[in-house]
Amino acid sequence: MGSAAVARSGVQPGPAMRVSAHARRGGLKAGEKRIGWLFLLPALLAFALVIALPFLRALGFAFTRSDLQTPEPVFIGLGNFREILGSPEVLGSFATTAIYVVLATGFTVVIGLAWAILLNQTFRGRTALRALSLLPWVLPSTVCAFIWGWIFNSRYGVLNAALLELGLIPFPTAWLSTSVGAMTAIVVTKVWLSIPLYMSFFLAGLQGLDREQVDAARVDGAGNGAILRDHVLPHLKPVLLVVVVLGVIGNLQQFDTIYALTGGGPVRATTVLSIEVYRRAFDQWDVGMASAIGLLWVATILPAAYVYLRHLLKGV
Amino acid sequence: MLDLSSGTAKTVFCVLLGLIGAFLFFPIYWLAISAFKGNAELYRVIPTLYPHTPTFEHFATAFGRGNLLLHLKNSLIVSTSAAALNTALAMYAGYSFAKFRYAGRRPVMLLLLSAQVFPFGLLLISLYPIMTSLGLLDTRTGLLLSYIVFALPVSTYMLYSYFSQVPDELIEAARADGAGELRIFHTIILPVSIPPVVTVFLYGFMWSWNDLLYALTLIVSEDKRTVGPGLMLSYLNETNADWGGAMAASLVASAPVVIAFAFLQRWFIQGVTAGAVK
Repeated sequence: MGSAAVARSGVQPGPAMRVSAHARRGGLKAGEKRIGWLFLLPALLAFALVIALPFLRALGFAFTRSDLQTPEPVFIGLGNFREILGSPEVLGSFATTAIYVVLATGFTVVIGLAWAILLNQTFRGRTALRALSLLPWVLPSTVCAFIWGWIFNSRYGVLNAALLELGLIPFPTAWLSTSVGAMTAIVVTKVWLSIPLYMSFFLAGLQGLDREQVDAARVDGAGNGAILRDHVLPHLKPVLLVVVVLGVIGNLQQFDTIYALTGGGPVRATTVLSIEVYRRAFDQWDVGMASAIGLLWVATILPAAYVYLRHLLKGV
Repeated sequence: MLDLSSGTAKTVFCVLLGLIGAFLFFPIYWLAISAFKGNAELYRVIPTLYPHTPTFEHFATAFGRGNLLLHLKNSLIVSTSAAALNTALAMYAGYSFAKFRYAGRRPVMLLLLSAQVFPFGLLLISLYPIMTSLGLLDTRTGLLLSYIVFALPVSTYMLYSYFSQVPDELIEAARADGAGELRIFHTIILPVSIPPVVTVFLYGFMWSWNDLLYALTLIVSEDKRTVGPGLMLSYLNETNADWGGAMAASLVASAPVVIAFAFLQRWFIQGVTAGAVK
């Protein structure tokens, strides 16, 4: 893109071009400090207002009792955290979240990777198929929930119809009213809507694969399995890391489709942390507990985030 | 990459393509055709595979009942403004990170990117009282400001990656001509950055358009409600589910992002995966 940009803007090579080879390493010199910050300022202000400030406030709330009976927050130290440790319900939502994240991330990685490898082959209609594959990802979350709610519908759902016709179940299953069924539904929905993104990452990674190396291995008699095992997968390892980490971060946070599909139920079967915190904060108005649970939630995201940020900032 | 000359390899390839393809596309097909089935055809234990008697009645009720058009209008206002604001912020910040060197640049960048880590739900707990005290609760302004949470970190990184590739010579030549920094950015850098900027705009738009959590919480009045919670509250209640209407309204609500995406998907993929493939 470099030369095209220069050509389009009509910049003529001049004296400034000559020094740039040295200047480049250290960036641009004149007055950079002030101007750099100036460019940054609007984003920083927005960041402070909608991200940093809310986070710090939640941090403060976590150590207070602040609910409908106590409108003015009262400092109670680690009280909320003690309550969490003694509450099977809250601990249960950590477990539910873990199950959800592992299943959703695992299945999406496997299917997304397979789909990317398939679409990396050249065949007629591949470009169209790639573009169409992105559809689930751009649909509003409520729409995703509707689609799968309708498929999993106990009376008129096409899934029950198909399973009945194939003789796999003797009578219709009430998917969303059983714990396992509801978990299946929210995982399937999330896998479905995340495949496009994961696939895009894998496809981008596959572009850097050394074709000549693969061809050479082929000449040496390597089969498809060996090519995948010895060349494709090792090549995709760094991308895989990013995808898994991003997937875990995203799934730990998932709220919309779960809330719309099951509302966290039946009973608490699909109450993941996002639902738990939302219910505590906006149904029971127990802001103290909600913030405390939320902080522990951040703690679960931190390891994944650390790996991801380190990767992103490599060479910055 | 794979050798499909053998019969087995070809079969495995086609079967996998068919299976995953069915999983990805059947739900969308089902959404589309269910919207065109009359109620008599829709509510059958063994469904028909395509609408035998296609009808537009669900679209008529979707537009007629509830406030679909109003919700769409609100979504359009909020999402467009949120996307524009997010793009502007990310643009300047990304340029600053890419083209200026100053003390604190790396830590600030880390801070901004780390915002991805804070669960949206946790921030919402305190965004709610903050918006209340600013008088912005239950306003479209409050909602669109809150949407910065979703898109700003990744958008900034996307534009940072792009601006880093813009040659410094371009900027230095303009400086030698005596142009100010803002002018250089606006008249020289931005015109050659349309694709990534549009991508970031669409990214922000998509997050806002598709959101349920924030829209459900920060907007209370029906007349300001956006399409995500609007759909949910109109169609998803256990006692009285109108699936035909839900499917028709879903098609209408998805159309804007799908159409925008159809035109821009190439750039979009490049932008979103920036940074992952090093």
